Amino acid sequence: MAQSERMIDIAGVHKTFVADHGTVTALEPVTITIREGEFISIVGPSGCGKSTLLRLISGLDHATGGTITLDVSGRKRPVGFVFQEPVLLPWKTILDNVRFPLDTAGVGRAEGDKVALDLIKMVGLSGFEKALPRQLSGGMRQRAAIARSLSDDPPILLMDEPFSAVDLLTRDTLNDELLRIWQSTGKTILLVTHSVEEAAYLADRVMVMTARPGKLKCVHDVDLARPRGEETKLDPAYHALVAQLRRDLRTPGGEAH
Amino acid sequence: MSRRLTAWIDYALALVVLLAAWWFATGPMALPTYLLPSPLRTWNALVGIAVSGELWLHLGFTLQNIILGLALGCIAGIALAYVMTRFPKLAVWLDGPLVILQTAPKIALAPLFVVWFGFGVTSKIILIFSLVFFPVFIGAIAGFRSLDPMMKDLAKLLGLSTVQRFRQIELPSAMPEVFVGLKIGAVQALVGAVLAEWMAGKFGLGYLMTFAAATYKTPLLFAAVLMTVVLGLLLHVVLTVLENRLLSWKGAKNG
Repeated sequence: MAQSERMIDIAGVHKTFVADHGTVTALEPVTITIREGEFISIVGPSGCGKSTLLRLISGLDHATGGTITLDVSGRKRPVGFVFQEPVLLPWKTILDNVRFPLDTAGVGRAEGDKVALDLIKMVGLSGFEKALPRQLSGGMRQRAAIARSLSDDPPILLMDEPFSAVDLLTRDTLNDELLRIWQSTGKTILLVTHSVEEAAYLADRVMVMTARPGKLKCVHDVDLARPRGEETKLDPAYHALVAQLRRDLRTPGGEAH
Repeated sequence: MSRRLTAWIDYALALVVLLAAWWFATGPMALPTYLLPSPLRTWNALVGIAVSGELWLHLGFTLQNIILGLALGCIAGIALAYVMTRFPKLAVWLDGPLVILQTAPKIALAPLFVVWFGFGVTSKIILIFSLVFFPVFIGAIAGFRSLDPMMKDLAKLLGLSTVQRFRQIELPSAMPEVFVGLKIGAVQALVGAVLAEWMAGKFGLGYLMTFAAATYKTPLLFAAVLMTVVLGLLLHVVLTVLENRLLSWKGAKNG
């Protein structure tokens, strides 16, 4: 997989909020370059600014300073976003939900259906095309949300704790499916998570962030063989990395070591 | 299926009991016709105006006003609620005047509407409109305000236009609350329509009632009252069917 091209260039991006008692720093300046096709995990405690960073990249929020450059050659929708909740439209069927980004972009019905059906198949929801979101389990709804985020084929996929609301077994399955989807689509993925295991298992690089104020503490390369699977979880290198990530998160924020 | 059937049987039984009581009061108890006409006399009066075509004229007039008032009240209520949630500044300015208008008894304003808008259809539709507008408006405000903030993120992320956002996300998600207001508004609309016809004009079920009362035709009065009851039921059924179709995604609800 070609991982040479720069996909996301983040240079000195920071964010402060104005609150009642003064300004609050949500994110201290972050600088990092993410290559095309890379899988990045971002771990950190609540309030470390990891979701803020994702929202800044997606354009949902604006940075107080610094620049974010996406190498997406003027696409109207450069990023797909998977939220913590599925955020499906409850009055639309799964098929209509997955096709929604295409419908609103003016893509014809037949073409949209074709793309959406392929994606529904890819995320393992075949047979549920006509179901309403409420008829599906939490894990299935999140699969549909992933399919939707991919439907207009954005080069970048941002995921904000996408599996935090599903049970652990489902989460393992979804992680493996996410890896499979990543490998077959070649997307650049940024995934925010609370779980150091999940972060290490999935990513090429792990960004460790600490809270109060939110800042990027360090970045670890993950040198685990791909494709990853159950044997990865037995690899001593994996356990060493998980332990290292835990240590990083435990030591107080600003101090270097 | 069988549950529905027993429900119908229950309805039918209740109706039979009511009719029996009515018949008992007029037959064995011998209440005079000018106080309470018998079911048969009422029925005959009803058939009489149905055959002469009078009934359809009046019923059509009332129904037309209700539908127009409901439609206009609905559109205006949803539109103002939407504009006010989009521009919170406007909401601050309009809050006072709206509270005054909302708490003012619209029925008491009815004579004023006649003075302002004449004896014709206009004043009637405006009265119905004023009765429908507020419940729908309040429901729609609640609906638009309860929109999941994540949906706003989704709309922003997809770069939806204002029209797309409204049609695809904001309106459908506000529909359950709008319907709560609409169902209250529909009951009010019928009251308003009949009342407006009592006051002025020569058409409508309300006019038929005042005419029957003034000429001591109690069976005809009863027939007209009966028709307003039927009209009310009809409105209820239509709205319930519509609600079940439009809001089936909410699940677990049947009228």
